[in-house]
Amino acid sequence: MTDVKTYLREWAMPHVLCPGCAHGIVLRSFLESVDQLQLDRNKVAMVAGIGCSSRLVGYVDFCTLHGTHGRAPAFATGLKLARPELNVVVVTGDGDGLAIGGNHLIHAARRNIDMTVLMLNNSIYGMTGGQAAPTTPEGSVASTTPQGNTEPNFDACKLLIGAGASHVVRVLAANPLEMTKVMADAMTHPGFSFIEIISDCPEYFGRYNKVGGGAEMLSWMAVRDEGITIPLANKSFVKHVPSSAPPSGMKTGVLHREVRPVYAGVRGEQ
Amino acid sequence: MASMIVADALVRAGHDVKQSEVHGMAQRGGSVFSHIRWGSDVDSPLVPAGSAEVLAAFEWAEAIRWVEYVRDGGAVVADIRTIIPPGACTDRRSWATRYPDIDAGLFDGRHIKTRLIDASSTATELGNVRAANSVILGSVAAFLDIDDVHWEAAIASLVPRGTVEINIAAFRAGRTVSDAEVPQQVPDPDGFPGPHQIEIRHEWCKGCDICSRFCPEFCLEVDIDGKLVVVNADACTGCRLCELLCPDFAITIRPPLEPAIAAGPTDATGSST
Repeated sequence: MTDVKTYLREWAMPHVLCPGCAHGIVLRSFLESVDQLQLDRNKVAMVAGIGCSSRLVGYVDFCTLHGTHGRAPAFATGLKLARPELNVVVVTGDGDGLAIGGNHLIHAARRNIDMTVLMLNNSIYGMTGGQAAPTTPEGSVASTTPQGNTEPNFDACKLLIGAGASHVVRVLAANPLEMTKVMADAMTHPGFSFIEIISDCPEYFGRYNKVGGGAEMLSWMAVRDEGITIPLANKSFVKHVPSSAPPSGMKTGVLHREVRPVYAGVRGEQ
Repeated sequence: MASMIVADALVRAGHDVKQSEVHGMAQRGGSVFSHIRWGSDVDSPLVPAGSAEVLAAFEWAEAIRWVEYVRDGGAVVADIRTIIPPGACTDRRSWATRYPDIDAGLFDGRHIKTRLIDASSTATELGNVRAANSVILGSVAAFLDIDDVHWEAAIASLVPRGTVEINIAAFRAGRTVSDAEVPQQVPDPDGFPGPHQIEIRHEWCKGCDICSRFCPEFCLEVDIDGKLVVVNADACTGCRLCELLCPDFAITIRPPLEPAIAAGPTDATGSST
């Protein structure tokens, strides 16, 4: 096992993410999975749109493409068809992937393009000032919903299963070892893999909803989780688990897996 | 099961018998024991402390734990098998324990006869390690005045079908098996190599407090200036929780023997491509 820091563009570090933001934990787990699979770093292409999560591609020493808001799956589709030998990984956020880029995401899933999409769901628009996103849970406070969000939120995994994604997983950012395993699985899966990572935004979501900072938000994920995994945050050594229980009902783990033909372009080339 | 066999054999021999069992979680320090009282007329199932004729200990620490119940001049039959409970662990890094030494003369002061046997090895030689308890019963039988016919009938009626022969063979072996040699207790050759090394890259750390809040050993702390400090370096067990949960790649845990690379800004080119 090599030190995953060798996959970083160290000159660009430290990254811009706020203190306690779990996106960095996700990035580390992704690098560990690349290391586990022993992928050639010149054959890994990370594609991102706009948002906090999309900033991650700026710090990795792979081929990276920073595109326009929500269009990362579209860029990635073109990239994969032109250069099928690349391992294409899309990093997107909940606002980027489900709001402005919702159509691009579901159509990439429908075509079953061989790519992996990491959707970092922090339940809010973090970069632009904490506005409510399509994933903001009902009742949660955001800067545009000071009395609490009145709309129901997306279940991204159900959406993507419906759209035809052939591998759909949900994991918690508080669970780094499982994240690594799930990402390695997804990158070896032939077809469209979608991973929804429950990340956090301590700076906006945590502050507005009085959950707390990074550590409290990682613990909070355990309360949200109804899944088949045992999150690290559930261990009793965590000193403060906040009592304000967030909306639960999120199932984690591999939610859907099938093998079906991968879209290979007009000429049928793989 | 073993105590049921003893009780059944005593009933067959014409005694009034009362037996009680307690099942706790022995690995976590709980109790697993049974009392058997017999005689012409038994009213209570529990044996008062200091009055038991024989103590059958299936493990050495259990012998020490229950020897108070044996009367002066009674007998202890103990398997030399040792099962070290987590509660006896004194150092999770080296797995050092405070398990008592096996000592056949430990109860001599109370004139208690101590018989140490290696039931597992005896049963393995007979063909099935799972018959070890019958070996212990055989050794217990040597101290009780019950005819072997009753013992063997009790075993035959209670052990699982298909294992009667081996259990009776094990019982007979237990009657005659020679005392076990006390195994030499060797200290762990590897020993404790020292705590893992926590390396902090302060120029990347944002003082978010995740590592210090999740560290099970409380090694880390964010001080009043927001700077991460190692407060208890000796306690690090190398679980890497802090390293894996650090969003800023600021912590590296290195194994004890590997020299730490000096923290500080590294080569600006970063990596190979």
